[in-house]
Amino acid sequence: MTEIDINLIEGLMQQSPQAQQELLDRYGRLVFAQVARLVPGTENAEEVYQDVFVKVFRNIGQYDSERSALKTWLSRIAYNEAISYLRRKSPPVVYYEDRSGEADRLTDAEVNETFGRPSTETVQLIRAALKHLPPDERALITMFYYEEMSLKEIAYVTESIPTTVASKLSRTRRKLYKIIKMLQS
Amino acid sequence: MKEDELYTLRQQDSALRDALRLEEAELPQMPSDLNARVMQRAAQEAGGDIATTRKSKVRKLWPWLAAACVAAFIAVNIAPPKDVASPQDKGQVAAKVEKKAEVANGSNGENGYNGSNGLEPNEPTKPIKPTKPTKIAKPQLQQLAEAETSQAEEVLPPVVEEPRKELAQATATTKKQPRTLTEHDIPITRPENYKYTPEELAQLRKQADEAYLKWVELELEISKNNLQQTAQQE
Repeated sequence: MTEIDINLIEGLMQQSPQAQQELLDRYGRLVFAQVARLVPGTENAEEVYQDVFVKVFRNIGQYDSERSALKTWLSRIAYNEAISYLRRKSPPVVYYEDRSGEADRLTDAEVNETFGRPSTETVQLIRAALKHLPPDERALITMFYYEEMSLKEIAYVTESIPTTVASKLSRTRRKLYKIIKMLQS
Repeated sequence: MKEDELYTLRQQDSALRDALRLEEAELPQMPSDLNARVMQRAAQEAGGDIATTRKSKVRKLWPWLAAACVAAFIAVNIAPPKDVASPQDKGQVAAKVEKKAEVANGSNGENGYNGSNGLEPNEPTKPIKPTKPTKIAKPQLQQLAEAETSQAEEVLPPVVEEPRKELAQATATTKKQPRTLTEHDIPITRPENYKYTPEELAQLRKQADEAYLKWVELELEISKNNLQQTAQQE
């Protein structure tokens, strides 16, 4: 942890408005992106974003720098707030469920080939398929591939364990491929 | 799948990463005034928090106050009075009672009490060792207590002899069954004995009237004497 982070956390502990403003400036976009990824609609995302930071300012005393970085801690709060918002307010949406277990029967070779082929068509297909994933699975894929978080960090954010995150990521990846196949057919 | 394999796949799945990058780019942009609104809301909630914490503190305090009051009430009612005699004192009191009881036994038919106050014996009896406190059986104590209570209402001085006699008898008869006398067993410390009964009050008033009349008579005599003296001098 850098000295700037230490000063920032100390300021937040003292409820300093300057420190709070600095936190918003530094991590605001990241948190908003994470919330907007999960919560549909800008207004809803704004509401959740405000809830996240109010909660952060109030509970900064619970932050443990030895367990996680400040950014990861913020992601955890944002993830939990977004998921609870979806459970609370979002209308129930039906997503694709691999009930027959077909995704598990797919070979690694064909899955790897599709995701490793950076053609425009494939990218568009993947984007279309991502919309059929439930929010938590989409967030998992984004945290791992886009934000390049480690399994340990993802486990901290989702309140899980790294092995569970790993198996869930693997399953989601296969599921995504199955959706692509369905869209192609 | 192992962690290492996943990290390797992350590097290989370029199409997936490209798709995610494009998706992220299309996400709604954060409004510029959103942070200002957050700060405003945080300030409002901080102010509200202070008020609510004050209220909640007061709310939390009430049950404790009520409990403290109840505890104090119970303590006042249950706790013994301040002038509780120590075990040594109890022993002395018991010894005194025993002594008086023996005196009463010895001079039962002779009426050996002094006429002036009815409490002191005429002749000193043998000294009694104030070693062990006398213990009185409960039923006899109850009888004694009843006798004391009934006689406390009759305030006339000779009546005082009765409970003393009974106490002496009770003490004498229960010598074989030792029981420690407590402060509550001594008639003088009973609360009902502290209060004046109506008869006592009437008698006190009567005595006060008599004393006043005597004082007036005395004053008259003094003034008569003074008049006589002045008449003689003239």
